[in-house]
Amino acid sequence: MTVPLMELQSVNRIFKGRNSTVQVLFDVSMQVAPRETLCIVGESGCGKTTTGKILAGLSKPSSGKVLFDGKDVSGFSGASYADFRRAVQIIHQDPYASLNPVHTVYRTLSFPLLRHGLVKNQMEARARVLELLTLVDLTPAADLIDKFPHQLSGGQRQRVSIARALTVNPKVIIADEAVSMVDVSIRISLLNTLTELQKRLGLTFIFITHDLAVARYFAWEGRIAVMYLGRVIEEGPAKLITDAPQHPYTQALVSALPEPDPEITRRKPRVQLRSEDIPSLTRLPSGCPFHPRCPIYVPGVCEHERPELAATQVGTLAACHVTAQTSHHAEAIAARGASVAT
Amino acid sequence: MANPVLSVSNLSIEYNSLRGKVQAVRDVTFDLYPGETLAVIGESGCGKTTLALGLVRLLPKAANIVRGSIMFHHNGQSTEVLDLTAKQLRAYRWGDCAMVFQSALNALNPVLKISSMVQDTARAHGERDTKKIEQHAKELFEAVRLDPERVYNSYPHELSGGMRQRVLIALGVLLHPQIVIMDEPTTALDVLTQRTVIEVLKRLRDSMGFSMLFISHDLSMAAELATRIMTMYAGEAVELGTVADTFYRPTHPYTLGLLRAAPALHGSPENLSSIPGSPPNLIHLPSGCKFHPRCPYATEICSTDDPPFEQHLPDHWSACHYWEQPGEARTAYREELATLLRESQL
Repeated sequence: MTVPLMELQSVNRIFKGRNSTVQVLFDVSMQVAPRETLCIVGESGCGKTTTGKILAGLSKPSSGKVLFDGKDVSGFSGASYADFRRAVQIIHQDPYASLNPVHTVYRTLSFPLLRHGLVKNQMEARARVLELLTLVDLTPAADLIDKFPHQLSGGQRQRVSIARALTVNPKVIIADEAVSMVDVSIRISLLNTLTELQKRLGLTFIFITHDLAVARYFAWEGRIAVMYLGRVIEEGPAKLITDAPQHPYTQALVSALPEPDPEITRRKPRVQLRSEDIPSLTRLPSGCPFHPRCPIYVPGVCEHERPELAATQVGTLAACHVTAQTSHHAEAIAARGASVAT
Repeated sequence: MANPVLSVSNLSIEYNSLRGKVQAVRDVTFDLYPGETLAVIGESGCGKTTLALGLVRLLPKAANIVRGSIMFHHNGQSTEVLDLTAKQLRAYRWGDCAMVFQSALNALNPVLKISSMVQDTARAHGERDTKKIEQHAKELFEAVRLDPERVYNSYPHELSGGMRQRVLIALGVLLHPQIVIMDEPTTALDVLTQRTVIEVLKRLRDSMGFSMLFISHDLSMAAELATRIMTMYAGEAVELGTVADTFYRPTHPYTLGLLRAAPALHGSPENLSSIPGSPPNLIHLPSGCKFHPRCPYATEICSTDDPPFEQHLPDHWSACHYWEQPGEARTAYREELATLLRESQL
């Protein structure tokens, strides 16, 4: 692999409250190569948004390092820090909340251009904003440039958010649940716009989502990292993660997800978890954090020692004692799933 | 099929607004049969929720039911829901037709314990035996995989989102209604929690035998739970058919568009596409077929003649001049699916 464009090295993040401290990220390491797509997938509370914020420089790790282009971000100051912040942009989940309702599209998009001296005057700014709107498929751009957010549909607003992220010519875009608020019928076209931009502008994408099916579509050529209770528990090429998941948690996610096809969704084997409740981050289980729910839990092993990410036979990384030990694990799960399915 | 439990005909609902009348539901006609699950799918703003609220007459003041009829059939008697008096309506709601609302967070009263909500509900419908109510509620909590003792004495904030959603479902069926309306019951839930809610719904439906009207924008949920599917577009029912017919031989291009826009964990992603354009303004609707500006099959006739909602195939209705084409467009998918099922031996 070439030098990763962004890298997390053993990042921990602890939030201190008045009476309690909560650790939300444990030893998170990940790498993203230039022009690559990395999807971070997990359920609410798994730390995916915090990871995104740390990557974007909006939050600092309690320990561990964030590297951008091989350089430690904490060492940046002045101009180098400004360059970093410009190079990494974030698209937020809710386009209804992330755009200022009293600013027109032009004002929202021209502000960063003028602020960062990327254009000399309002004339140039207007031309550049029109160009950006066309780039994100908001056409006819001339009709939309003077509109307020309330005059736009949800999908159009999200496109304005994308255009805003592009104003400062970033290298990395972090999209936090960027399509979960828009209607299913236009979700695909929004994702296609992002893919198109990636190709045309050579962008690197870190895409945060709770939806494995969306992750599979968007990261078809890229990678998926699955997080559970503040840790990355499985990571690998998107196709492998969704077609041949190795960690029992990923297997549970894949098996639980309903599919948009009545035959497939009704015949799909279901993994039965031992417990349905997600443990609280303030009282984490010992050993493997998934052991109280894990269907293939081995008493005497899993609750004592925490498994590290290790290479699996299919070519992904998974943090599981059982996966690491038995090569027949996948078959065992398949047999188990078939017996559980009703 | 048996006699329907609910017959809706030509139901039309309008909202008054400063800019004009918003035609949120237009001439919707369907029957709901005992024990079946009818999924209503469509984009936001297509009238799904307005339709559901209309069925229990919980519409906001600005809304008017301008036309149509909602007949409720039970024990050989038929009642016109639109003619019920306030008192009769109170008995019909929850007792005969219960609604489980979208947001589990907001649907429970935060200052009341679950036990008070259970008791209040049963008492309002004439049940006086507190012990009996408690026992029945606990049985239902057990059925939705909750710890009855703990949940019964909890406040809503002590429960997680998935637990609250299951409490709402248990509360919904507390009075053994004939019909349960679910408005997006799993939106905003995590994947594993959603799975639990799906399994719980299936089990309750099979054991209690109620009919379910299930509103969702998520086709996967419909694929999993529904026996029949009704597609709504711009306030109209544009297609109604069994779940298999709808998924494998759709007869309306809008349904086809929704099917093609749903990402899946199987198959290759190349087949996915969005529906171009956006839903029409419900105050000034397009002429002819309301879907024609976005439709890949539209011709001259579609912009002038509004196609009637007709039965084109057995038990399969739709409103489209070119109803045969979407089914043909699904041929490749049917073949791909057959191969997939053969290879994976699901």
